[in-house]
This record gives sequence, C-alpha cells and structure tokens, in this order.
Amino acid sequence: MTVALIARNTFREATRDRVLAGVVIAGVLLILATQPLSPLALGEGQRLTIDLGLTGISFFGLLIVLLVGTSLVAKEIERRTIFNLLSRPISRPAYLVGKWLGLSGALWVVAGVLGLALWLLLVARGLASHGPAVLEAAYLAGLELTVVTALAVLFSALSTPVLSALYTLGFYCVGQWSWDLREFAHHFPAALGSTLAVVADVVPNLPIFNMRALAAHGEVTTLFHLGLATVYAVVYSGCVLGLAAAAFESRDFK
Amino acid sequence: MTAARLSPQAGRMLVALGLAALLGVGADQLAAIASRRLPRPHPLEELSYYPSGQRLEPATLGHAETVADLAWLRAVQYYGEHSRTDMRFANLYHVFDILTSLSPHFIPAYVFGSFALAQEGNEFGHAEALMLKGIEANPTSGRLAFELGFLYYVRPGGRELRHAGEYFERAARLPDGPTSSRRFAAYVRQNAGDLAVAWALWRDVAQNSDNRYLREMAEREMRRIRRAQRTGRAELARNRVTTPVVLFERNH
Amino acid sequence: MQSSIPRPTGRSVSGQSAATEVSTPAVRTVGLAKSYRHPWTGKVVTGLEALDLEVVRGEVMGYLGPNGAGKTTTLKLLTGLLKPTRGEAWLLGESITQVASRRRLGFLPEQPYFYEYLNALEYLEMAGQLSGLGAHDAHGRAQRWLGRVGLGERPGLILRKYSKGMLQRLGLAAALLHEPDLLILDEPMSGLDPFGRRDVRDLILEQRERGTTVLFSSHILPDVEVLCDRVAIILNGRLSRVATVGDLVRGSRQQVEIRCTGVRPLEIVPELRDVVRRHDHPNETDFLLDDDTRLDETLAWLLRHGAQIRAVTPQRATLEELFLATAGGTVAEPSHQERKSA
Repeated sequence: MTVALIARNTFREATRDRVLAGVVIAGVLLILATQPLSPLALGEGQRLTIDLGLTGISFFGLLIVLLVGTSLVAKEIERRTIFNLLSRPISRPAYLVGKWLGLSGALWVVAGVLGLALWLLLVARGLASHGPAVLEAAYLAGLELTVVTALAVLFSALSTPVLSALYTLGFYCVGQWSWDLREFAHHFPAALGSTLAVVADVVPNLPIFNMRALAAHGEVTTLFHLGLATVYAVVYSGCVLGLAAAAFESRDFK
Repeated sequence: MTAARLSPQAGRMLVALGLAALLGVGADQLAAIASRRLPRPHPLEELSYYPSGQRLEPATLGHAETVADLAWLRAVQYYGEHSRTDMRFANLYHVFDILTSLSPHFIPAYVFGSFALAQEGNEFGHAEALMLKGIEANPTSGRLAFELGFLYYVRPGGRELRHAGEYFERAARLPDGPTSSRRFAAYVRQNAGDLAVAWALWRDVAQNSDNRYLREMAEREMRRIRRAQRTGRAELARNRVTTPVVLFERNH
Repeated sequence: MQSSIPRPTGRSVSGQSAATEVSTPAVRTVGLAKSYRHPWTGKVVTGLEALDLEVVRGEVMGYLGPNGAGKTTTLKLLTGLLKPTRGEAWLLGESITQVASRRRLGFLPEQPYFYEYLNALEYLEMAGQLSGLGAHDAHGRAQRWLGRVGLGERPGLILRKYSKGMLQRLGLAAALLHEPDLLILDEPMSGLDPFGRRDVRDLILEQRERGTTVLFSSHILPDVEVLCDRVAIILNGRLSRVATVGDLVRGSRQQVEIRCTGVRPLEIVPELRDVVRRHDHPNETDFLLDDDTRLDETLAWLLRHGAQIRAVTPQRATLEELFLATAGGTVAEPSHQERKSA
C-alpha cells in the first residue's frame, strides 16, 4: 500500500514534469523525421525508420532517467521534501521501491507512446506486418529502462544529482559492452581477465534487451528471449534496489 | 544495543544486503545464459544504411573522429565475429568507407579494411578502391603507398607486379616509407621484367644500405640482371614466387 | 472547528492496554546521543549528548535552545530522520527503531518543502494515506483541514505557487490530518505573521484539549510561555534544565513599579536605597522596588512625603530573560522597559 502510494505520487510528479513532455515530443518528432530522411537511405528507408524509432525510445528514455531519475531521491533530500515522508510510518526500502516503480511506470508510458507513434507510422507506410517485432523491441526497451532506473535510484540515494547522472550513464555505456567484456575476459591474462569478468557481472547486461537488428527486418524474437529478459530485468533491478535499501538504511537527513 | 544483539537497523541492512547478493548471483547466471544462447546484436547494423560518411558527418556535431573511432571498434568486432563464423563480410566495405570519410587520415583503417576485404572477403575491387581513396586523401603517406604495393603483390588469384612496383617505388621516395620499400620495388620490377628499373633500384640498395648482407644481395641481383640483359633471357632474372592465399593466421 | 475525536480505547499498536498507555510517557529518551565523524579527518562533532528526557502524555512541552544547540537534531532523531549514535528512545511506547513508532505521530519539520507539482489537496490525501487513513477518509479530512488552516479557497493551486506561510500552514495540516496522539513541531511559528501565529497557538491549544501530547521547539518565547506546561532548555547539545514555566518564573523575585508625580526633590531614604531605584521622566517619576515584600513600607514613605501615586504595577521576569540568563550563564538584570507587565 505504501509502495503503491509513493509510486503513484512519483508517477504523477514525473508525468507532470515538463522535461518528460518535452522529451516525448522530441521523440515523436524524431520518428516523424525519419520520413524525409528515408529517400537518402537508398532503399533502406524502412530499416531507417524502425531502427531510428527504436533507438529514439532507448535514447530519450535514457535522457529522462538521467534528467529526472537521478535526482529522484537526491533532490528530495536536498529540498527536504523527504522529511515529510520518512517521518511517517513508511520504511526506507518501501520508499525506494515506490520511487523506482513510479518512474519506471512513467518510462513505460513514454516507451508506449513512442512505440505507438512508430507503429502508426509503419502502418501508414504499409508495414503493419512489422508491428509485432516493433512491439517486442519496444517492450525490451522498456525493460532496459526499468533496469537503468533502478541504477539511477541507487546512485540518487547515495550521491548528488550530477554525480548520479554520471554514474548511471557510465554503467549504461559499459553495460552495452558487457557481452564483449565477457568475451575479452577469456583472451587476457588472469588478473586482467578476472577484472573484466567481474565488471561484466556487475554492470547490467544490456545487450539482452537489444533486438533492434531483428526488428529492423520485421523479425520477431523468441518467447525464451522475452521471458529471459523479463526475469533478468526483475532480478537485476531487485539486486540494485537491495543495495540501495542497505545503503539508505543508515543515511542521515540533516 | 548489546554486543551480542544487532540493532534493528543493522538487521534490516543485513537483510537487504543478503537479498541483493542472492539476486545478484541470480542475475549473473541469467546474464551468462543470455550471452550464450541469445543472438548477439549486430554491431554494424546501425551504420550500414547510412548512405555515406559525408552525409553522416554533420550529425556527428564536430565529433567525427570520435564517431570514426567507435565505428572502428565496431568494425574490428564485426570482422572478428564473422571471421570465426561464416566468413561473410557483407557490410565491411561500406563501413570502412564511412569510417574513412569521417576520418580521412586514419591510416590503419585503410590498411586493415583493405586487407580484410581482399584476403577474407574476396572483394579485391573494394579493397583497391579503399586503398586508392586513402592515398588520395594522404598523398604523402609512404606507409599507405607501401601497403597498396603489397596489396597488389599478394593479390589472390594473380599478382599485379607492375602496380606493386609503382607503389613500392613511390613509398621509397616518401619520408615515412619503410626502408625496405626500395628492395621490394627492385624485387617486383625484376620479376615483372622491368630489368633496367630493377637494376637501378638494386644499385641504390647496394650503395646506400647499412646492411652488408643486403648490399651483397643487391650486387648479386645486379649481376643476374646484367646476365639476363646480355643473353636476352629475362627469365634468368626472375625469382620463383608463389601466390599466397593466407594473409592472417586465424586463432581458433 | 472543534474536533470531537474519541480518545483511543482498547489496545494500542504495541499491544498496551489503555491504562498502561496513559502511564507510558509520550516521549522517552535514555542516553540518546548523536555525533558526526568527518569522513576525511576523522574528527568527531557532537550534535547531542546523552539526552534523558520524558514528555508526559497530554502535556505541551517547549524545547528551547539557541541556534545549533541540538533542538532539531533531537526532533529528527525522534522522528527517524537521523540515526542515533548511542542510546534509545520511545514514542508512545514504541522504539524509534521501529516504523510503528511513527504511526501515531504528526511531525512538522522546520521550513517544510513539498512536491511542487502537486496541489494541496493531493498532497494532504497522500500524507493521510501514508499515515494509515483510507482513501475516502483521507479525502474528506484533507478538505476539512485545508479549510481549517485557511487554505481552503484554492485547493487546486499547485504547491510551487505557495508562499512560505502557506507552506507552513499546509505542513501543520499534514501533521494533524490523521489525528496523531503525539505532535512534534519544529519551529511551528516560523514564517507566519501575527495572525498566523495566533492560529497556530489556537491549534496547539485545541490539540491539548483533545489530549494530544505536543513537543515543539520555538524561538518565539512569549508563545512558549503561553502554551507550554513544561519547558526543556538545551545548550551545546546537552539538556540544561526542565521545569514548568511557573517554576521558572516563580524563582525570580518580583519587582514592582510605582509611578508617581510630585516627588522631584525627594531623596531615597537610606533604609530603602538597597531595594529602590528611581527613574525620572519629564512629567513623572518611576520607583522600581526589587523586593515586593517591602511595598507597604515604600508606599508609606512616598505618601508621607506628598507623592501622588499614579500606578502600582507588579513586574515579573519573562521566560526570555530567564532563558537568556540560563543560556548566557549570568543572571541578567532586565531593564525597566524590558520587564513585562504581569
């Protein structure tokens, strides 16, 4: 109940933030902008549309996480609005989980809106058959954003908004390389290889959520992929939020 | 709080940490399964439909070199992945074309791209085009000239000795051309039947090389050429050569 | 609006019976302390030293101290915003380490801030539900309390547009909405004009009528004097004194001011020189008598010498003077003008 209340409040605050509205508009404009660019792609306009559209969902979603999510907790601490919440009978872990759920919900709405815009555009181009693939790719993008939001909550609970954004962005970038790091770990001497392997374990394995290449060709992925990605997103987010809860438990609010 | 009893706060922290550790192990296992069983995202897909580097350059907002670097990393990955699997490099030329348009002075990109295209991708025409593009953008690069000469020399299916000789000579004239350029030029000219040019190149080696053995080798080749010229039998001056089919060793 | 809320009956959250509840202090601290260690230098700064304090159920206690004395530190320790370094504390019988200790608590932090994009009604509804009210109940109470604190005219106005005083009122409403048994207020009068302060005083008195325990810190000592049953004074992180307001001011001697005319040439007789001081004004003269037990003697002397008595006014020490004396470590002799008329 408490978690739901905080989540609803966070969702409300995020969706009323002008930043979110601005980013969604920019995302829709990007999707529409793929149409004038299509003739330049020498016959690959369809791929351009889908790939840029899906990249837009990830990119703009990440932008929202960095602009809004990383100050989610930090701003509340700085502005002392957190005093009004934590002096009530709510636990600190419940507060963090509520924050994560609220912003994740807002990001799912963003992914949904942009995904819908993309699908409508494809239908207008006579590519409705690509709908399922685009839907799956948008779903995976939403899961990716959920994971990154958990990281943003963790860093926001520990640090300032600016540093939180940097840490989150760093984890995101390295996370995109996680599978390569796993591979490289085998080819390097023991000490370096072990370090790379640990890094690959710690950062979120974001390639799990990337099926843009398939979607660009209108190909759907397997249920195994979707299920694995879903479970991974929940488990990894849970791990990160657990760390956040442990760190937040002893935090003083002066 | 006694020493033997945890405070409720410490207890809650430990529970949270324990849960995080458990879930972390779970996440790691899932990630390992995913990396083994799921299709890898193709690293060059996002670049392959851009028409050209010139069109892409404005979008880099002044960071064309950085984008080129990232493209380079992806290209190397792409090469590695396909050289271990299907040996098909459908997008390689296009990506190196974009990459070198964004960063025209990125010499290694021309070299690696050309040889990968020629040797692994069986696209000698693209390889040659890439190298010539590099030389046009870097006319004073002795290294590129040398590498193009070498590309012609090792061309699968048939060497192009004349062109090789031309570019080895060019490399020899440029400040950063490898010191072996002159020898290479002499060698290929000799085998191409350009005996007069070859003799002049070997004389240059004999007069200027610091290496006694190279000077002796040059003098030996000069004597062979003179013998061939006197007898009118050019084959006396040619060396036996084989057409190489493997340029890079594969590490399995 | 007078609230007619029934007193708690039966068992409390902690399982105590009503009888036990009444006897359990509303706030109890044993050795509660807070210190901060600098992460780089390792230097330790003490915010609060071993506080032993009890606030009786139903009383209004003022918590006084100069800036930086440890008032806010104490209140934040009690409300879970700071973690104690040592010691223990209980709110209404529940340890502060438990979330349940805040179930019947209403807290107003100093200079409260709220979510900018919510309006007052939304914020109060959320606050009420987080404190255990149902959605419907929270909505109804939110509307009533908005009206009660003078914010009912524009419930849809977003909080970003609220003034400091409006935010303070909203914070009070949020603290009172769920009818807590314990109110902890950090500078509740802060940012309010005299009308606002009067309203807050009325609210606190209303809560006392209801049986709510109130612990509040304030710099506005006249308000503390009016509202509080007891006062705790904290200095440099250490509890200095706890007493009723009456005990604090009764301990000081009462002065009396005698205003009269027609005494210009009159000299104070030797036997009264130790206790009487004279202040001449253009049209009248004030005689300040330090010891009210010698009032009759002084009046008789003045009347014998033809003085026309205009007024006889007892003067007692204000809480502010006592506080300053305690905080400054000296017995301050108040000036004639600073003395408050009883």
